[in-house]
Amino acid sequence: MIRHLFKLIWNRKKSNFLLIAEIFFCFLVLFGVLSLVMYNIRNYTKPLGFKHDNVWLLTMRPSTDSTAQNRQSLEQVLQRVRAFPEVSQASLISSNAPFAFSQMNNSFSYGKVKDIDADIYEVQDEYKDVMQLQVSQGRWFSAQDNASNYEPIVINRAFQQKLFGQEDAIGKLIQGVDSTTFQVVGITDYFRAGSEYAAEEPASFTRINIQKRPDYFWNELLIRVKPGAGVDFEERMVKEISGIGKDWTLEVATLEKMRQNKAKLTLVPMIALGLVCGFLIFNVALGLFGVLWYNINSRRSEIGLRRALGAASGQIYRQFIGEVLVMATLGLILGVVFAVQLPLLQVFQVESAVYNIAIISAVVIIYLLTVVCAFYPSRQAAAIHPAVALHEE
Amino acid sequence: MITLKNIEKVYQTKTIETVALHNVNLVVPKGEFVSIMGPSGCGKSTLLNIMGLLDAPTNGVVEIAGTPIQKYKDGELAKIRNHKIGFVFQSYHLINDLSVLDNVELPLLYRSSMSAAERRTRALTALEKVGLSARTKHFPSQLSGGQRQRVAIARALIGQPEIILADEPTGNLDSVMGEEIMNILLTLNREDGTTIVMVTHDENMANKTERLIRFFDGQQVADSRVFDFQKV
Ligand SMILES: Nc1ncnc2c1ncn2[C@@H]1O[C@H](COP(=O)(O)OP(=O)(O)OP(=O)(O)O)[C@@H](O)[C@H]1O
Ligand SMILES: [Mg+2]
Repeated sequence: MIRHLFKLIWNRKKSNFLLIAEIFFCFLVLFGVLSLVMYNIRNYTKPLGFKHDNVWLLTMRPSTDSTAQNRQSLEQVLQRVRAFPEVSQASLISSNAPFAFSQMNNSFSYGKVKDIDADIYEVQDEYKDVMQLQVSQGRWFSAQDNASNYEPIVINRAFQQKLFGQEDAIGKLIQGVDSTTFQVVGITDYFRAGSEYAAEEPASFTRINIQKRPDYFWNELLIRVKPGAGVDFEERMVKEISGIGKDWTLEVATLEKMRQNKAKLTLVPMIALGLVCGFLIFNVALGLFGVLWYNINSRRSEIGLRRALGAASGQIYRQFIGEVLVMATLGLILGVVFAVQLPLLQVFQVESAVYNIAIISAVVIIYLLTVVCAFYPSRQAAAIHPAVALHEE
Repeated sequence: MITLKNIEKVYQTKTIETVALHNVNLVVPKGEFVSIMGPSGCGKSTLLNIMGLLDAPTNGVVEIAGTPIQKYKDGELAKIRNHKIGFVFQSYHLINDLSVLDNVELPLLYRSSMSAAERRTRALTALEKVGLSARTKHFPSQLSGGQRQRVAIARALIGQPEIILADEPTGNLDSVMGEEIMNILLTLNREDGTTIVMVTHDENMANKTERLIRFFDGQQVADSRVFDFQKV
């Protein structure tokens, strides 16, 4: 029977071509969207490498340039903030806090491996406690780095693998673009501060030593508060800091809020795309339904004939569902041949698993779609009364 | 072979009720070649559909080989049609997208236990019987009307049915082609003992069969032996 179906479809290839093409394109669109969704979901399920709840970001913008004065106030603010019983730890940082919209990066070289780009986060020793980082190898910054000949640097695993491969990184010297030499002191397994939906990219931490740069002003202070510290504390803290930095503009944001904003950046287009894709699939389904409906109605006399020759109504039903499945399979084979090129050629830096899951899901969805669309017309075909259908011609 | 008792067929549409058959009683013994004649619209096709189990009568009993068929479900009726009955239609009813050979094989597809090779040999034999061995790869659109009807006959006889029901098989053909088709049917009846019921408008054709039944307005009005029929 399968052979018979193939023969029928092959002999009707002209009229079936459109249907197969429709399934093919539908598959490609679905595959694209699902790959994107899977990519985001996979990233989302991976560890961020830090904990952002109960962490606040204080941004300070002095209006005057009297740097010496501001700098003095900054140190006072730092002391004051750390002294609050509600605060467990605070760290000055470069202006690329987790989930912030700004980035900072640099190129690094090690031996033959040249110019690997990595994000750089300038942080104080307290940052590890503020963000609750896990250093899996080596150590985090500490006072012993004050005496070091090189700039200490902590890198994430992704960076270590790009720069060192299998080699042990701890203690190695790497070169930044401005010919600063860094010494790797520690490695964290994960650190993805950009967005929950972003992939793990090379990242590194360099150490802020405020004594070494007496005239520099850091605008951002990352504060871990104790659980339960809320709006009242925030008001109190801001009021006190305003007393120290008299003409400063202060702003407090929670990392949770920042995370939500960053997530929207991914989720909103994804939902929009999902809706467009859903609409498209709905249209394809309607088209498919229409074509099948038309096909079956234009084949009434064939159905009548088959019934006369001994086909039970269930066999007619299975024949039509079978034909649709064979055509879906042809369209899908074509689509999969295209889709597997992405993981095979590694066009984008995306794990093959993302594509594989997307391919499988798209195939399953299309099969479901075709079966659902074929169900009613095929039922209708099976219900055709043979005497009536034969009489019509 | 076929027994009809008190058959009544009423077509019910929204506005009108058509009595297509009324009180039809008919016995067609095994191996008989019967022709049915009557004016257009008198219910001949309806009768054939009922005999062929394509349609159920409104009232009355149909027996095939002694078994009343009311009891049967759709699947069983399909099986009887497939094994016992072959149809030939006035308008051939071939599937245009299948080759001659595939068209002829069609009834065997609905027999689960038959290999593709066996279907093929049987189809070739059937085509040989109707003299179309040279046209197996053609498509119906590439054949003449007479050739198409011969394909349809090959399809009707491939399942080795006990009964062939032919609804104006020569209606669309010229007299030479008609003769040819008639001869094939006669041979089938004589050599294989196939029971044949044929609807025709052509007195000459009817006179070649052994029994002639006339219908008028849904009722049987005459039933006669044809004298010069020679059973061999
Ligand atoms: N499906 C149907 N619905 C309603 N009425 C029908 C249907 N099929 C047949 N009839 C009616 O039943 C009557 C008998 O029709 P049938 O087709 O059996 O005639 P016929 O003897 O085969 O005619 P012809 O020689 O023209 O083929 C006709 O009056 C026809 O209009
Ligand atoms: Mg008729």
